[in-house]
Amino acid sequence: MGVAVLGVGFSGAFPTSTGLSYRELIKRAAEMAYQDAGIEPEEVDGAVSVEEDFISGYSIADEYVPDQLGMVRKPVYTVTGDFLQGIASAVMQIETGQFKTVVVEAYSKASNVLQKDEVLHFAFDPVFGRLGVSPHYLAGIEMQRFLDESLHSVIDVGEVVTRNRARAIANPLAPYGGRLSLEDVLYGRPVATPVTESMIARHADGAVVVVLAADETARERANGRPLVRLTGTGWGSATSIVERRDLALSEGTLIAKELAFKEAGIEDAASEIDLFYLSDHYAHRQLVHMDAFGLSDEDLPAINPDGGALGMGDLFEATSGVRMFDAVRQLRGEAGAHQMAGANRALVHGWRGLPTDTCAVVILESGGPRGLNGRDA
Amino acid sequence: MSRVAVIGAGMTRFVRRAEESSGELAARAVEMALEDANLDIDDIECVIQGTAPDAFDGVHMKGEHLIAGSGGSGKPYMRHFVGGGTGVFSPIHGWMHVASGKFKNCLVVCEEKMSPCVPHPAGAFLTIFDHTTEQPLFLTLIHIFAIEMARFMHAYGYTEEELAQISVNNKRNAIDHPAAQVAEDLTVADVMNSTLLSWPVKRYDISPTSDGAVAIVLSNERVARHHCKAPVFIDGVGYRLDTAYWCTRDLAYPQYVAMAARDAYKMAGIVKPEDEIDVWEPYDPFAYKALHHMNGLLMDKTGRKVRELFDSGAFARDGSHPMCPSGGALGVGNPIAATGLMKIAELYFQLSGQAGKRQVKRHAHRGIAQAWGDLMQVGTVVVMSGDGSLPIRKTPWSERTKDDLVGTAIKNVKEVPHTTYEPNLTYAWDDGYALTTYLDGFKQGKIRGSRCSECGRMMIPARSFCELCNLRHVDRYYDLPDTGTVETYTLSHVDWSSAMLPDGQVNIFAVVAIDGAADQMGLVHRLGGVDPKDVHIGMRVKAVWKPAAERTGTVTDLEYFRPLAKDEDKGEIATVPVKPVEVDTLSAKTASGKIPLSYAYTAGLGGRKFYEDLAKGVLTGTYCEESDTVLVPPAAFCERGMHALDPNADSRTLDEGLGSVMAVTKVYEDRAGHLLDEPVYVVQVEFTEPGIHGSVFGRLDLDGHDPEDIYPGMPVAVVPLSLEGNRTGPECVRFRPL
Repeated sequence: MGVAVLGVGFSGAFPTSTGLSYRELIKRAAEMAYQDAGIEPEEVDGAVSVEEDFISGYSIADEYVPDQLGMVRKPVYTVTGDFLQGIASAVMQIETGQFKTVVVEAYSKASNVLQKDEVLHFAFDPVFGRLGVSPHYLAGIEMQRFLDESLHSVIDVGEVVTRNRARAIANPLAPYGGRLSLEDVLYGRPVATPVTESMIARHADGAVVVVLAADETARERANGRPLVRLTGTGWGSATSIVERRDLALSEGTLIAKELAFKEAGIEDAASEIDLFYLSDHYAHRQLVHMDAFGLSDEDLPAINPDGGALGMGDLFEATSGVRMFDAVRQLRGEAGAHQMAGANRALVHGWRGLPTDTCAVVILESGGPRGLNGRDA
Repeated sequence: MSRVAVIGAGMTRFVRRAEESSGELAARAVEMALEDANLDIDDIECVIQGTAPDAFDGVHMKGEHLIAGSGGSGKPYMRHFVGGGTGVFSPIHGWMHVASGKFKNCLVVCEEKMSPCVPHPAGAFLTIFDHTTEQPLFLTLIHIFAIEMARFMHAYGYTEEELAQISVNNKRNAIDHPAAQVAEDLTVADVMNSTLLSWPVKRYDISPTSDGAVAIVLSNERVARHHCKAPVFIDGVGYRLDTAYWCTRDLAYPQYVAMAARDAYKMAGIVKPEDEIDVWEPYDPFAYKALHHMNGLLMDKTGRKVRELFDSGAFARDGSHPMCPSGGALGVGNPIAATGLMKIAELYFQLSGQAGKRQVKRHAHRGIAQAWGDLMQVGTVVVMSGDGSLPIRKTPWSERTKDDLVGTAIKNVKEVPHTTYEPNLTYAWDDGYALTTYLDGFKQGKIRGSRCSECGRMMIPARSFCELCNLRHVDRYYDLPDTGTVETYTLSHVDWSSAMLPDGQVNIFAVVAIDGAADQMGLVHRLGGVDPKDVHIGMRVKAVWKPAAERTGTVTDLEYFRPLAKDEDKGEIATVPVKPVEVDTLSAKTASGKIPLSYAYTAGLGGRKFYEDLAKGVLTGTYCEESDTVLVPPAAFCERGMHALDPNADSRTLDEGLGSVMAVTKVYEDRAGHLLDEPVYVVQVEFTEPGIHGSVFGRLDLDGHDPEDIYPGMPVAVVPLSLEGNRTGPECVRFRPL
């Protein structure tokens, strides 16, 4: 049994969203996704929310999920993971044969969380990891280890920032488009050397909702629109004991890639995939993830066409969801000003951010003939 | 769809406060489950973790923190939750992993370490309530349980003494459970005479707070048949989540449990559950909940079936419908998520004939486990069966006693090296469109609702869409009367953190159905101006508002509801249309909030060794024979092989001269993002001795050295720390250049 994307909704990302409660923000994205899917909430079999307690400000935050999705008294649960893990969970749910349609949701009200670094510091191991300084210290150590062990330089990291922020200018849903010079990035305000302020994705508010359906159901409801199928999902985690983790690579990405590629029948990412959405929460991480997928500078035109998290913002668990939203729109040819030509297969990658190395991958395919890709275009 | 079976189980003891860290508890449960399933961690294809709020263990992204202890390192790993329903949802999520065909097996782990949370783990429950409309009232779980219990007793006619019998039965059953924390042979009088916390709830009506972990191994049928003599199959699953507006629900009958049960029965092909199920493990965090849930599991809103079974003694372990033969949450303990999985493990033991002294007398072929939680809104249900009625067997599990399980109970965290921590978690939540108008009503001394034009419900709190009508837009707002009727209530002697109120003080919380709102559309608030003994369900009440000049547009502008005198109650209900507040930069409001918790963490067995040695000025690791490596920092388990290590017996001292900087970063901000007066250097230190796996992070004291001279490979030594009062923590870990 296969699974396809029936509909997507995204509120857009903003530095703040005053005037909308989190419920109203999510409801906006949900309404959009249901309309896109041509389905009413009452027809949907179940829901998965993706969120973390101390970001929402609630304990056991799943309590506050069903109402704004129109899913009261339906099968609903929360995955505290990357949005793409929520997608993977929903796919498995459908593949049991017990569910035909499942909706997946995540949101960020980052502007309502007053000390985000304090929350992040609270994620570190209380016995070994909370050093009482900026939690970005681990990004500094990680970037240093990566640069020591790879052939990349700090200039490559800076170029990730300038490129992604510039690309976001063409994306009307991205709040952080902008032209920066390499000097702006490398000599900007230091946070934890060699990481500077602009190498860290800035937070944003927003909600994203995706409706998934069994292939057969999706075909029935496609109504002549291109069907985007999920042909592979994978996720993985390196050890939570940071002291024993290889900080120069992303084991989580490698595990996720292996699972997803095996399922989708992909052997070589560069030649078989048209578009890549790679996590760039910290700029150096895009390079770490490119290495994991075997991508080189030649592939850069096909990487993060939406502007990445550096351009779209860090929406906590929703971050990779808004990237998936863009991927689906690209594969349908609905991306507008930043539409990439000939995009028929896309890879979306998510990383949960520090202190983790938990990553997830989904492969999306529109089913059209592949050939031209973003690079050729 | 593949059939999915439980083929192994493991658990720790449930204790009030464990010395072991969260990960160490999980790791020991995993080791035992793998052994029971005759598998190695390398055989496991994926791992899932079910654990409820992060506020208990005191770690943001708790699931990530638990990866190593759960056996998830280097694997597909995912955490999920549905509040207190998590424990029984966990095998459902695991079932998805296997039944989908994506994996052949799945390790399911549930852990909860509630003890780090101070002043009391119950305080964490303040943060489950709506931050804008309910948290300002300082509610906790005991309050709403009591509110629900009062409604349940009112609707079904159970007495407090009858409900106390459930506690007596379960605590007695738990005497035979090796993990049990509060097994006792009590009488109904003992329960009735225990401290009254929040009428009608008394101390012995409640399960304890606990630390503990449980793990099970799920596999597809082929693997199960190969590895397990008596696999127990998951036949049906169901889970349903009701609205977050809990005051709008029928609190006496858990419709969401009944719906989840119906889903599970349909999948399992069960038509008449009371005749087809042999073992029942409903969730019993409070005594009344077992019967409350049994009504749902039997899908009987009249409650007659459960009443008959209860009166006939059928729920005894040797009765016709054995209920909670494990001892349940009331007897075994309640490390929330782990409790639900303990119930699944109990079905596995019972249905495979290895429950030992707890084995039910009735030939057990099929069993059901259920959990519940969130804001009294989620039901999770699993139906399981063995291959026919299996013979009773002697296995390690049938013989185990508490001495065979790990879990070191300590009375006070100060007995061992520990870290205290106070997170500064502050928020300003946008009220948004509908709540801005609703809270503006409070400022005007009005209760405001909004009406859905499709279903016609007048809803409070006012909302901008209808959750029951496909998210239909709602834009008609009304002022309602500030009078209503008490639907249910509690007379409370405890505050939000479970501390007893001063003698003589009673806080009365009630769900009040507001006049003019839809049926059962209530709000929770305080009652006042009334003798507690005069409060009753059905009492008419009226709001008492603060003086207009003191109102700020929050729910506490309404001080309390007082009794409504008969001559005031004219029976006229006027709803007045109002124009909603136009939200602009000035009128948009936020509700401020802070999570009022702090934490005291034990260092765990590995951490204890680390800090005790650091106090002597040495760094140590733990030798793992299987991998022939020394793990740094010291560890009580090896995350590669998921087997136990002894940080003391297997300790290896690291040569001071071999520590060197692996990477260094100059940090300019404090933990909250404020600029530091002076940057701090943080180093990752490695040890070049062969066979060492790991490193240590700490601050670098420059000790007069030029910062420019710090380089990877630079030799460093650890600075000894003080272990006075057993207080310690990562901020104390410092290195100096050699």
